[in-house]
Amino acid sequence: MQRVKNLGYDEDEPYDDEDDVYEEEADPGYTAEDKDNFAALTPVVRAELEEAGVQASDKDIGDSLWHYYWDVDKSASYLKNSRTPRTQQQGAKKEDKPKAKSKFDEAAQKSAEKAADWFRDVPWTHIPPEMEGRIVPEEPAMPMPKLLGGSSKLAKLAEERREKAAAAANVAQIPAPNGVLSSLDRLSKPQDTKENDTPQPKAEPKKYPIRKKREPTPPPKEPTPPPPEPEEEKPDLRASPTGFGRTLASSQLSGHRAASMTLKDMLGSEITEDPFKGPSPDDTVLRAQQHSKGLTNTSKTKQSSTNGLAKKTEALKLGENTPSAPAQPKVRSRGLDVPKLWAEEKSKRKASAAFVVIGHVDHGKSTLMGRLLLDAGAVSQRDVDRYQKQATELGKSSFALAWVMDTGTEERERGVTVDIAQHHFSTDSVAFTILDAPGHRDFVPNMIGGASMADLAVLVVDANQLESGMKGQTREHVLLAKAVGLKRIVVAVNKLDSTAPNAWSQDMFQEVKGNVVKFLGESGFAKEDVMVVPCSGLSGENVAKAPEASGPAAWVAETDLTLLKALEQSVPSEVSGDALKRPLRMQVADVFRGGITNPLSVSGRMTAGNAQAADAVLVQPSGETAAVRGVEVNGEPRDYAVAGQICTLHLTDIDPIHIRSGDVVCSAAQPVSVVTSFLAKIEALDSLLPQSVDVHLGRLHVAGNISQLVATVDTKGETLKKKPRMVKAGQTALLKVTVEDDVPVEDGETVVLRAQGGTVGFGTIERTSA
Amino acid sequence: MRLIKHSIERKTGAGSATLLPEEPEDMWHAYNLIRPTDLLRASAIRKVISESGSGSRSNERVHMTLTIRVTKLDFDPQAAQLHVSGRVAEENKHVKLGSFHTLDLELQRNFTLEKAEGWDSVALDTLKEAVNQDAKAQLWAVVMQEGLANICLITDHQTILRQRVEVNLPKKRAGSTDHDKSLHRFFQTTFDSLLRQLDLANPKPLLLASPGFTASSFYQFIKTQASNGANKPLQQLVPKITVAHSASGHLHSLAEVLASPAVTSKLSDTKFARETQLMDRFFELIRKDDARAWYGPRECELAVERGAVGKGGGVLLISNSLFRSQDIRTRKRWVKLVDEVKEGDGEVRVFSSMHESGRRLEGLGGIAAILTWPIEDLDEEVEGGDQDEPAEDGADGEGDADGGVDGIEGVTGHDEEIDFL
Repeated sequence: MQRVKNLGYDEDEPYDDEDDVYEEEADPGYTAEDKDNFAALTPVVRAELEEAGVQASDKDIGDSLWHYYWDVDKSASYLKNSRTPRTQQQGAKKEDKPKAKSKFDEAAQKSAEKAADWFRDVPWTHIPPEMEGRIVPEEPAMPMPKLLGGSSKLAKLAEERREKAAAAANVAQIPAPNGVLSSLDRLSKPQDTKENDTPQPKAEPKKYPIRKKREPTPPPKEPTPPPPEPEEEKPDLRASPTGFGRTLASSQLSGHRAASMTLKDMLGSEITEDPFKGPSPDDTVLRAQQHSKGLTNTSKTKQSSTNGLAKKTEALKLGENTPSAPAQPKVRSRGLDVPKLWAEEKSKRKASAAFVVIGHVDHGKSTLMGRLLLDAGAVSQRDVDRYQKQATELGKSSFALAWVMDTGTEERERGVTVDIAQHHFSTDSVAFTILDAPGHRDFVPNMIGGASMADLAVLVVDANQLESGMKGQTREHVLLAKAVGLKRIVVAVNKLDSTAPNAWSQDMFQEVKGNVVKFLGESGFAKEDVMVVPCSGLSGENVAKAPEASGPAAWVAETDLTLLKALEQSVPSEVSGDALKRPLRMQVADVFRGGITNPLSVSGRMTAGNAQAADAVLVQPSGETAAVRGVEVNGEPRDYAVAGQICTLHLTDIDPIHIRSGDVVCSAAQPVSVVTSFLAKIEALDSLLPQSVDVHLGRLHVAGNISQLVATVDTKGETLKKKPRMVKAGQTALLKVTVEDDVPVEDGETVVLRAQGGTVGFGTIERTSA
Repeated sequence: MRLIKHSIERKTGAGSATLLPEEPEDMWHAYNLIRPTDLLRASAIRKVISESGSGSRSNERVHMTLTIRVTKLDFDPQAAQLHVSGRVAEENKHVKLGSFHTLDLELQRNFTLEKAEGWDSVALDTLKEAVNQDAKAQLWAVVMQEGLANICLITDHQTILRQRVEVNLPKKRAGSTDHDKSLHRFFQTTFDSLLRQLDLANPKPLLLASPGFTASSFYQFIKTQASNGANKPLQQLVPKITVAHSASGHLHSLAEVLASPAVTSKLSDTKFARETQLMDRFFELIRKDDARAWYGPRECELAVERGAVGKGGGVLLISNSLFRSQDIRTRKRWVKLVDEVKEGDGEVRVFSSMHESGRRLEGLGGIAAILTWPIEDLDEEVEGGDQDEPAEDGADGEGDADGGVDGIEGVTGHDEEIDFL
């Protein structure tokens, strides 16, 4: 009841349905425009065709034009191709056909060449090198008894034959590499091996050859037995691959090994990057028993040995060893003393800060951020040009910069930010994380989630529409920013390039500035924590670069900082070392697939503690344990992450259904409490009664109730009135709030209450016990 | 529900009524009519073990009509089933007097109810409402937001949460289509769950509500599915869909949706419209700190005592969950209150605790009143009185509050929990 997840997922997604629709829409009748195009382009194509001596009817030309979407050249060449060489092709086909027929007839009796032909159209030439390299090279090194279907006598016979043939081929090949035999080899065997290389995509043809295997014909046999073997690593035996194996795959083999080696060296850690390299589960268990003593951290020192061979074997062992302790995390801990390291590295690293961009809808938040990223060099001009082109096609060319942040299809179609967009960039002194919040009132829950991850806020105000914003989300966002505990705020007075009657009106800016600063003061922001800058996101003045001295915006350079400078000056001081030593707390903002090697990743802001690879963590409220597999900060792998950072944790040993956004990843030793009701000290923005409310705890958004008005209190916390009838707007009160689901909370956390699409109160949790 | 026959004496209220439940909603009415200590007569199947002279036993399932004195009711809103437990009050050859039996009331089978304390005014009103055949508005609603969908059935008297779909959606990130894919899957899952609930042969209006674009995207999704042609009845559903805006995807947003003009015009549920109007008026008054609006059991009682809920705009809003109390004295207390208001020519509105408007009232303790003239500081007077019997009041407040939460969840049997408290 609580978590109905992934009910009856159907992997085949009916996208093809949409195609149908388009076709249906396109076919019935040409529009007037289409007809004009026909009239104009048909003679052109005809002329070109006549030049090439080809005849074509109007209809054919029309059709080809339609299908090539009015591309004259393509249509013409298509028609040429489809007409002229047809006779030749047909002739060629006729030659082929009888052969093919006979082959089909005798398919059951014939062997090698036939099988080769059967798989002629298997697209083996474009197989990714890793795929080939992994299976092919191991074959020759494995003259082991076959375990699977190949263990029959027939298989043994086949095996012997194959070896003989291979030996012969080897002998023949050394003196005459281009000899008849080798070319024969090439004809038959390689293609058969390919059959084995691409078993998944070609499921159907595979069935057929299996039947043929009743005959002891070496080539089709050969590929089937090896697949279970590759796990058996026997580097010593690598000396005698078959001739064809060598010619075909030796280069790929070495390439593959080299690649995996460099990866290991680079990472310098024990993470296995290749999920298919590990042994089968049975082997894992066996090895775990064998190696249980050898779990000490010796491999790392060995790895640094310069001896290439030793390195190689070590790497192989690592591959087996890493997943070998199923009871423990798959990654071994490096046992870093994170708080100490963090303090030591303090001088070396840049300051960092995350800021949330807030403001009313359509005041240009996303565009301003797009501009900032572009001018700061975090996004290339080429990308923006591409967006410009695509946006123009949709008739929304002014949204191009916003598309840097608005990556969702729906967001782009509608031109409205829906969810928080996260982006990194860094200046010479500071590494910034942008959290671009949606301005629309429907998406305020997402904005709360974003604001709860930020260190400071950037309020974007449209200089021309201050009023509408103040009635709407400018006001609400500012209050929410305050509610989630943001202290500093940078106000970007935007769209100054389009102020009326004349652009860059300094009076207008001063007026807006006065109003906004006044409002921020009333909302509880200290004057020294507020900075106001004029700018224009669309044209780019005063965002990262000061405007030109000659333009109408020249006054800006004299009086105000650029937005980027203002941001750099507003960076708050780092979290104290104490926060790092507290037990881990991180609210999950997003659960996603980090890639093939990291099937389950969570991102969010760490509010307390630290995390490094191999840490055991607990996910609340599900209460499931997980292990940290890797840590990323700002999209780069790190050894650890600490409180105050927005990071990504790659998790293992947990089913994805146990994590959703809003959950808390916490230390397994000191987990966060899970409750269904709590006492909160709430500052009312609207009158509060016992009523239904949406309860927001950072990213977490659950339905709840104010079940009891306990007391109204004054600023000192003195009780004014017990059991009040109602809490008026502006009063502070102790409320008992119950929620429908279990929620992970701690005393002192920020909570926001909303009802009917508006924020009705915010405050902190006083007591979590029910 | 059809009234087959009744013999209720006007003065004392003594007598019985025979009723025929015809549709699932009638079980809800029956649940509100039948009280502990009432006599209920209905058909039953009972396993009878008979022992022959030689000592061999034989099992037999016997159809019979049993009369029980009710001790407990169990209502399952999702399945619309009502189980009534009690002790057999009339002996027959198979069943002894005083043995326990649980009657499962069934559709299209008569049952006869006789009130132990006689039919009071509230019971008679409930009966009248249950028998009323005209307004039978029914509506399906999907209240959703990205990753969460609540599929519920809205009838005149109930909002039943039939299925909740919750899917974790990865957030947008550059260069990844995971979000779009998951969203599509989320729609597919919701759509499949919805189809399992709907009766496509006889489609009811369907309401899709969400913040942002989720509902309209889902509407597009359904349209695409319908135009694919495989499911003909689905095409008839499409014109019956209304897309509306809600503040969130949680079920309590439904009240706001149902009150919006786009929906009221389609719903034509006058009872609900009037109730919502009254609730809104009440909240408006209290927001203005007007001393004419009070809520809570003791406050309302005091106000009624003083005759403030009377002619000229006095309205008592009361949830029917209060009448379902196990304790006869408590029940009588509320009935008396209702009668008093009626005597004073005040208006009494009994809200369904399972309906959206009723849930708002549940949050306030199940009872509220709009007074004819303001009484200042009613609560302080109540507080003074509180000290005489603080325990009772405390228990009341807790129980009602918890009931409100469960009510929103739409979980079975929440009312029993109140009753046991």
